[in-house]
Formats: sequence, C-alpha cells, structure tokens
Amino acid sequence: MTKTMKKFDLKNQAFPGQETPGKNGSNELPLPDHIQDIKDSCPWFQRDFNLSEKDREVIRKYLDGLTDDEIIEIYYRMRDKKELWDGGYFYPNLQILFGTPFEREKDRREQKIWNEEYGESEVVKWYKEAKEKPCVWWLENHIIARHSLNSCMSCGACTALCPAAEFLDYNPRIIMETVQGKNEDAITQLLKSDTIWYCFQCGSCKTKCPRKNNPFGMISSLRQLSQIKGYHVYSIRGRQQYAARHLWGGNLWNRACTLYFRNIEVKTHRDFGPRHELCFNHKEEYFRKIGACPDMDGLLSGRKVHPETLHELRRLWQAGGALYLWEHIEDSAKKQADESGITIDEYHDKVKTEG
Amino acid sequence: MRVLVLGGGITGLKTAFTLSEFDIETIIVEKSSEIGGKVKRYDKIFPDFRSGKNLVKNLIASARNSPNITVLENSTVTNVAKNNRSYTASLSDGKIIEVDAIILTCGFEVFDATRQPEYGYSVYPNVITSMELESFLNPEGPTKGKLLRPSDGKVAKRIAIIFCVGSRNMKIGNPYCSRICCSYSTKQAIEIKENDEEAMVTCFYMDIRTYGRGFEEMYQYAQEIGVKYIRGRVSECSVLPDGNIQVRAENTLLGKPVQGVFDLVSLSVGMMPCVDAEELAGIFGIERGKDGFFLSKDDDLFPHDTSKEGVFLAGSITGLKPIRDCFLDAMSVSGRVVSYLTDLYKNR
Amino acid sequence: MKENNSLFSETGRESLWKRYIKDIPDDGYFLTLSCILGALYPGSEAMIPKVYDLFGLNWGTNPRPESGWSCCSGIAYHGDIMPIEGTLLTVARLWSIAQEIGVDTITMSCVTSFGIHCECRDLYENEPGLKEKIDRLLKQSCGREFEIPKYILHTSDVFYHYRNQLRDNFMKFQLIDKKTGTPLNVVDHVGCHYSKLFPEEHSLGGSEYCEVLSGMATAWGGKEIDYPERRHCCGMGFRQCMISPNRAGTMASVHKKMKSMSPFQPDLIITNCPGCQVFLDKEQWAIYEITGKKYFIPVLTYQEVAGILMGWDPYGVVGIQFHTVPVEPLLDKIGTPYNPSEAWLGINKRQVY
Ligand SMILES: Cc1cc2nc3c(=O)[nH]c(=O)nc-3n(C[C@H](O)[C@H](O)[C@H](O)COP(=O)(O)OP(=O)(O)OC[C@H]3O[C@@H](n4cnc5c(N)ncnc54)[C@H](O)[C@@H]3O)c2cc1C
Ligand code: SF4
Ligand code: SF4
Ligand code: SF4
Repeated sequence: MTKTMKKFDLKNQAFPGQETPGKNGSNELPLPDHIQDIKDSCPWFQRDFNLSEKDREVIRKYLDGLTDDEIIEIYYRMRDKKELWDGGYFYPNLQILFGTPFEREKDRREQKIWNEEYGESEVVKWYKEAKEKPCVWWLENHIIARHSLNSCMSCGACTALCPAAEFLDYNPRIIMETVQGKNEDAITQLLKSDTIWYCFQCGSCKTKCPRKNNPFGMISSLRQLSQIKGYHVYSIRGRQQYAARHLWGGNLWNRACTLYFRNIEVKTHRDFGPRHELCFNHKEEYFRKIGACPDMDGLLSGRKVHPETLHELRRLWQAGGALYLWEHIEDSAKKQADESGITIDEYHDKVKTEG
Repeated sequence: MRVLVLGGGITGLKTAFTLSEFDIETIIVEKSSEIGGKVKRYDKIFPDFRSGKNLVKNLIASARNSPNITVLENSTVTNVAKNNRSYTASLSDGKIIEVDAIILTCGFEVFDATRQPEYGYSVYPNVITSMELESFLNPEGPTKGKLLRPSDGKVAKRIAIIFCVGSRNMKIGNPYCSRICCSYSTKQAIEIKENDEEAMVTCFYMDIRTYGRGFEEMYQYAQEIGVKYIRGRVSECSVLPDGNIQVRAENTLLGKPVQGVFDLVSLSVGMMPCVDAEELAGIFGIERGKDGFFLSKDDDLFPHDTSKEGVFLAGSITGLKPIRDCFLDAMSVSGRVVSYLTDLYKNR
Repeated sequence: MKENNSLFSETGRESLWKRYIKDIPDDGYFLTLSCILGALYPGSEAMIPKVYDLFGLNWGTNPRPESGWSCCSGIAYHGDIMPIEGTLLTVARLWSIAQEIGVDTITMSCVTSFGIHCECRDLYENEPGLKEKIDRLLKQSCGREFEIPKYILHTSDVFYHYRNQLRDNFMKFQLIDKKTGTPLNVVDHVGCHYSKLFPEEHSLGGSEYCEVLSGMATAWGGKEIDYPERRHCCGMGFRQCMISPNRAGTMASVHKKMKSMSPFQPDLIITNCPGCQVFLDKEQWAIYEITGKKYFIPVLTYQEVAGILMGWDPYGVVGIQFHTVPVEPLLDKIGTPYNPSEAWLGINKRQVY
C-alpha cells in the first residue's frame, strides 16, 4: 500500500460549504433553545414516563394541530441550529429533540411521506406478499429462516449454553421443534407468545448445533414474522418493539446510529451506578476532553452525520423494508392503543416500562 | 493358494485362522509392532463381560502356532500390481510377496477428541477419552484398575461419560452414528460401578443405541445398579479451581439446562476410517463412501467384495462393529474367499 | 491460583487455537466505529486511530465528507426492527465506501458490526442471486456499487497483530504487579459475535480458546485465567438491555460470570465487544446494590489496556472516568502515574463540579 489516504480531522470535521470553525469558540457549553421554558410549557419535548393526563392531552392537541410541513420544518430548524464550542460546531438542540413525542410524531409523518415519494421496493413487495401467506411459507422462504434449519434432532446442545434458557422460561430447542413441526396453529401461538422475545441474540447456540442449525437466526426471523403479521402485540415482551422502533429507529432515522450517547440517561440507568451519574451529568465535557464530538460535526461519537450520508441511508432503509416494518409496528401499536383507549404517546411509555 | 490379510486385529486374526482351517496359506501384514488390534487393550468386553485381552491372546497364540499363517509385523503394503490372476504386493520392509487374494482388515481409528475443542480434551487433564478409560479400568494398566485423576491422582468418585463425541455431528463432517459407543460406554459405566459402589456415573446421551442381542439388557442392568442417564448432548466442559470439570447440557426430557460437576469426564469417541484409508484406497484402487469408510461392491449381495477382483474387505474397515460382528465378518469373508479361490483354480 | 497450572494445559490450548488463524493484512484499513463504544467509552474509540497512526498505517473512514461511514444497523437488526435486507444494504454501502477509499480490508471497532459483516458475507455465499439483488437496490437507491471486501477484521485483530510491536516500541508498563513483580491475572471476555458466529472463518483462535484477547494480555505481561464461565454470554441481549424491565437477564448473566471468575482473583477483565464492556462494567454496581457483593473487578477494552500501558493520560486520553468500576486500583498495581484530582475535570482541566 503506497497510496497515502487523505485524512480528515476527526475532531473538527467541517462539512463542505461551511466556514471552518475558528479556534476560539465559547468555553461555555451552548445551551439548547431556552431549555427551561420548553420543558415546562411544551411537554412534547418531555421524555418522562410519568406524564400527567393533562400533559398528554396537551401533547396530542399540539402535535395533531401541526401540519406535516410544519412539524418537519420546526424539527430541522431546531436540529440544525449550531453554535461554536471548543473549536467546533455544537448542535445544542439535539438533546431536546431526541426520543420525544415530538420526534416520534415527526418520524411517523416524515416516513409516510418518504414511502409515498419513493414507492415500494422489491423487498417491500416481498414482505407484503409474505404477510398474506401462511407462517410455514415464511419458514421455507425467508432468507434467514430458510438457512437456519436443516433438521433438528432435539439434542439440546443449543439450550445447554443458552443464557436466556438459563434464567428465563425459554428453550431454543423447543422452538426449533415447533418450527420443524410446521403446524400453522402451533407456530402462530409461538409468534404471539413472549417466548421468542426472550432470546439474547448471542449466537452461542449456533456454534454448537451438530446439525448446523441456527436457532439464533431462526428466532430472529420468527420475530420479523411476528411483527409482519402483527402478532407481537399479543405479548408484553413483543409489544415492547414499539419502544424499540422509536428508540433505535429514531436514532437511525435522525442520527444514523442505533444507539445515541444520550440514551443512557441517568434516570433510566440507575443500575449503572453513581459514577455513571457523575460522568453523564457533564458528558459533553468528558467526551470532548478525550477527543470525541458529542452532538458535533466530526466522527467520533458525533452522531451529527453529514446530511448526504443520512439521506443515502434513509433511502437504503426505505428500500430495504425498514420503513415498511416500522409502519407496521406503528399501525399495530395504534390499533392496540385505540382499543385500550390510550394515546399513542401513553402507549409508548407503557410498553417501554412494563415487562 | 495364498492370501494376504492386511491388518492383524481381531478381524484379521480370525480371518487368517479360518482360512488356515481350509488349508489356505495366509500372510498377516500388521503395521504396528504387535498383532491383536485394539481389543487387546480391553479388560472386559460387552455384552458378556468376558476378558478382551484373553480373547485376543488366544487368537494370537493360534495364529502363531498355525503352520499356515505367517505374521509380518511392523509392515504394510506400499504397492500392489495385478498380474493375470494374482497380485504382487510390495511391503514397506522391502519384501515382495505374490498372493492370490487380498483381504483388508485394517480396522478403524478412534476420533481425535481435540477436534471437538468444546470438551477441553488436551487442555483439561481430567477430561479423558474412552480409550484411556479402558486402560484405567484395566487391572494391568497404568493405574492398576483404579480411576485416578490425571490432575492430582485422587480417586475419581463422580464420573461423567459423554456420548457421541465425534459422531452424529455435521459440524465436524461426521454425520454418522458410530453404533457401538453407546454399548461400550454402558459397559464402562457398569465396570466403574462394579469396581466401586460409591462411584457415581452419569451418562449424557442423545439416544441409547444398544441394538444388539443382550445389549439393551446390559443398559437396563446399568440403570438398575445406579448409572444415571441424562438425555442431552453436552455443549461444553470447563474446569473449576479444584480441577473438577463442569459439564453443561440440557436435560431434554425435563427441558431444562443442567450443569454438573464431575471429578473425571470420559469422552466416548466414535470411529473414524483407519488412518491409512486414503492411501490404501489409492494403492488398491477401491472406493470409499462419503463417511470415509471403504465401500463394498454391494452392501447386501457382495458385502466383502470391492470393485477390484480379488480384493476383499472385512471387519470395522467398513464401519464400526462390535467384536461379535467382526468375528462373523471374518468367517463370512473366509467363505467368500474360499469360493473365489476355488473358482480361480478351477479355471486354470 | 498456582494449582491452576496443572489443571489447564497451555500447550494443549495452543494446539487448539492455532487451528483457527486468519490472515491479517498489515496496512490499508477502512475503519468503521461503534455506536455503543462511542456512547459509553469514547476514549476506547478515539484510541484506535491513535494506534493506527503510531504505526503510520493507511486508514480512512470517509473518502469525502458526504460519503461517511455509518452504523451498520446491527443492533437494530438483532433488536428486530431492521429487516435483513436493510442491514445488507447498510453494509453494502459501507463496503462501497471501502472501495471508494481503495482498500479491501474493513476494520470495525464493534463486535456486533463484525458479526453483521461476516453474516452478510456468509449470506452472499450461500444465497444465489442475493448479490445481484442487493447490487440492484443499492444502485437504485444511492447510485453506489460494491464488492465483498477481502478481509473483515475486528480492530482487536489489528491490535493483536501489532501486539508485540506495541509492547516493544511504545509500552512503558506491563500487566505486572509493580510491588510483587508477579503478572496480573487477566480474564478475557471475547464478544459472542466475534467468536461464536463464524469461528472457523473469522475468529482468531476459534470459539473455545479464542486467542485474540488472551494473546494480547499475555504479550503485555499478564497471566491468562481460564474460568468455567469464560465463554458465557455477558447477557447484553440487545432488546434485553435496552428496555430496562428486561435488564434482569443481563444482570443475572453478569452475576454468573462474576461468581465464576472471582475465585481466580482476577485483576482485570479485558473485552473486545462494546456491549460486553458496558454490561460487565456497569452491572457490577447493580449486583452490589442487589446482593451487597462487591466484585468491582475493573473491566477494560483492549484499547484502554494498551493506552494505559503506553502511559497515555488516563483521564484525558483513555477515559477511565467513564467506568462504573474504578480503574484507579489497577493503575496503582501497574504503577502508572495519574492524578486522582483530575478525574472529574473538564476540557483544558477546567472545573466542572
Ligand atoms: C473404547 C472402545 C471399547 C470397545 N469395547 C468393545 C467391547 O466391549 N465389545 C465389543 O464387542 N467391541 C468393543 N469395541 C469395538 C472393538 O474395538 C472393535 O470391534 C474391534 O477393535 C474391531 O476389530 P478390527 O480388527 O476390525 O480392527 P482393529 O482392532 O482396529 O484392528 C486393525 C488392525 O489393523 C492394523 N492396521 C491398520 N492399518 C494398517 C495398515 N495400513 N497396514 C497394516 N496394518 C494396519 C492395526 O494396527 C490393527 O492392528 C470397543 C471399541 C472402543 C473404541
Ligand atoms: S443443537 Fe441443533 S439439533 Fe440440537 S436441539 Fe438445538 S437446534 Fe436441534
Ligand atoms: S442466540 Fe438466543 S437461543 Fe441462541 S443461545 Fe443466545 S439466547 Fe439462546
Ligand atoms: S452408538 Fe450411541 S454414542 Fe455412539 S454415535 Fe451412536 S448414538 Fe452416539
């Protein structure tokens, strides 16, 4: 390798067309838009699970009152607001937007628009067809399921090492047995149960199977099927997918990463201990100190991705069927929320905290 | 009339002996320094628990005493040439012999347990193979018949026997069942129990395939004297600070993962084709099956014939068999060879 | 643990792991980073380019700012909100960036990502027509083309590859107790998706006696500890750790490992998977709160271990303040200097508390 690669300044990577940030930006971490006022008067920027009935009403009324264009416009205007900090651009509003009812509403609407604009890809067509077919058809045709089961001799080598089997009411061997049985009712029942959602997706089983089966892959495929069919909402663990769709899905869609560093909030991660709290109360300082870019342009932990990169990825996820799946999860959740007479925001908070 | 018997295990010995009773001259060519094969290492053999060593001793004696049998040890065939009706075989020690027929009785090889690294063979000293267990059980063996743990020489009281090591496993390319490890493991479990009442033996199995006459009864007896059977394939062995081995499996009948702690773990290794299988197939120009064992011309009609006229197969070279079946094979191949030779000489 | 020696044969282990070796090219890496590591141990991530630069290696993350690396979507895939096609496309785009840079080696700091890349490659090999389909979709959606890269490496493979040079040329300290002169007891925890998914093709040392971390640990002076639950999953479990009511399974798994390793008196745990790193470290606090048992065994990524041994600033470069279990006792053992009063200072050593 003789060609020397062009290096970018990992810490301060400016986007084209932007003036290079000066060295002297402020020392003080820029604050987001009037964060105090927003939190009190605009509950749609709240991530608290224990919102009052009244607040929830306010959220819905506000969000329902916005047109698609408005909500998208407000979101991006807020998102793109930047200020100089420690020699780089800091985007102070990212921290109020992420994971809020506001962002979720924006995503719902924006994704609908994307789906309309770019149409159905061949992948989406396949999934739409699969939805109408029996589960057994899926097992024989879905790319992952199809390669995951040759034949199971029920030896239990998979279960022996399975961390989920050790602590939960779960047994991958029995799942493989059920799948092998090709009984539509039994499989449907499995898809509606909590069982498939217990798997840790660790892959310990895959290494050990003497028949070269792959319970790890099979379970992953069954979970997709459960969601495509809308069966996941029948179980507590399954309907958590609605929270996952907005947690990981929201991160991907808006920040091109599945996990965003602000997700590890102190109040939801008490088990991480007091040092975590010390650290996360001033995470921007510590991130910056070691050369990362919290909510900044730049590579390391930046998560403020280049607009074109984000656009490419969104196109890929749309073509790859993710938006179709998310829409599905959304619809199933909405239906269940309506049936239980709660708002979708309340539903979100409920599935994220029950279990 | 002269026949070359390649491999001096029980199959080879019995074949040579049977042919000698028809006044046919045989030359046993044995690769190792002593004829007798694997069975001479077994103190007891199933299903009737008679002495394997003595059985072989008698066979060896009758072979050595027979005027019709020549034994060539430390030797093997390196090349054969077919003449009009006979074969000229070159041996590794430089000898060249001319024979009318060749019978391959090179037996089998036990599976190399390090190929399933999850069991820790060669890493944890207290994990041994069934072949090693045979020698532990032998009163004339290194431990004088006692089960002494390799790590610290303490008497092992809790023993796990893991079935199907190297068999029924597509991952390592051995999808077949080795057929007799269920039986020999059960035999070993009984021996352990009978030597030491306090010993606890646990067998981890997938299916118990004690298929022969008297084999299932042996399994039943083992259970009656307290050998425990747990249905589940062992996933992993690991070592505890005191050298004990932790074994993980699922008790599939209860549907629960289990972890057992044992002083000693024996791996019931399955069969592999004999080490020289590939070379021999080349030398003789005969075929092997997908499993690596030699193929006969027709499993049902010509179980001993190969695709080459005058080259025959017998014993565990076509797949593992208990001793009893090896004897049967030896006698039936003799019948086949006698008729072949008679034909050959009639047409001269 | 002195007796341990007779219970564990180093030569036996060596003969086993040596069956699984893979080619590691010396230079020319496309680097993709990790969501989890970046979110929780950003120091570990920042040290990867630093170490690449120590050796003057050619590496890149993006040929043009618009053509940037992204998350591989692996957590979303294993968390079941991303269909496999979405992940295949995300990865295909990354591969196409590698091509744009002109390298055929892709290195990633995340083990989930590593598993995903290997999985994608495996699917292309086993599913006729898949490559064409993904080619088509990638072209349609963002006008890119891709080839399957020749080498898929985890960054720990690269560190392993350079472990001796790192030690000989850059390290000022060793994994040796400064006071007693004895090697520190190092427990390795290799990420499941590194060693268990494709042990034959992609893992250094296979799944049972994986060498990638213990090789580094022993090269850097430590003593490898083999303990019963060595290969047990850390319990991260994607959806299990993310949704807090599910996290009990994670805690239980970590607890199981801790119980199993503590008789061997480990001085540190070394990890190569961001997810394992997080939960082995963080959940020790939860275990303490629930059971009252203080395991508090420092958990470090291989980058952090390397950084500390090279004498890099523990708070300014390595980032040990991100750890739940304090790393300072380990620094004392190794004998690296540090100033505890700097632990919670911000940029340019300014006071934030
Ligand atoms: C642990 C264990 C316990 C067992 N216990 C029992 C039991 O209790 N009862 C029972 O019925 N069965 C038992 N068996 C099965 C028994 O071992 C076989 O049935 C028997 O050994 C088969 O005999 P054989 O002559 O076909 O092969 P082998 O015993 O393998 O003999 C083959 C001979 O050929 C020689 N040879 C190999 N290659 C060449 C070559 N290229 N040139 C020249 N010579 C060569 C070998 O050196 C060997 O002497 C057990 C098997 C095992 C593994
Ligand atoms: S390890 Fe394989 S064969 Fe055995 S029970 Fe599990 S899936 Fe079935
Ligand atoms: S991938 Fe799932 S089923 Fe397989 S061992 Fe891990 S938790 Fe168990
Ligand atoms: S005989 Fe028994 S132990 Fe041997 S491979 Fe067959 S089932 Fe397994």
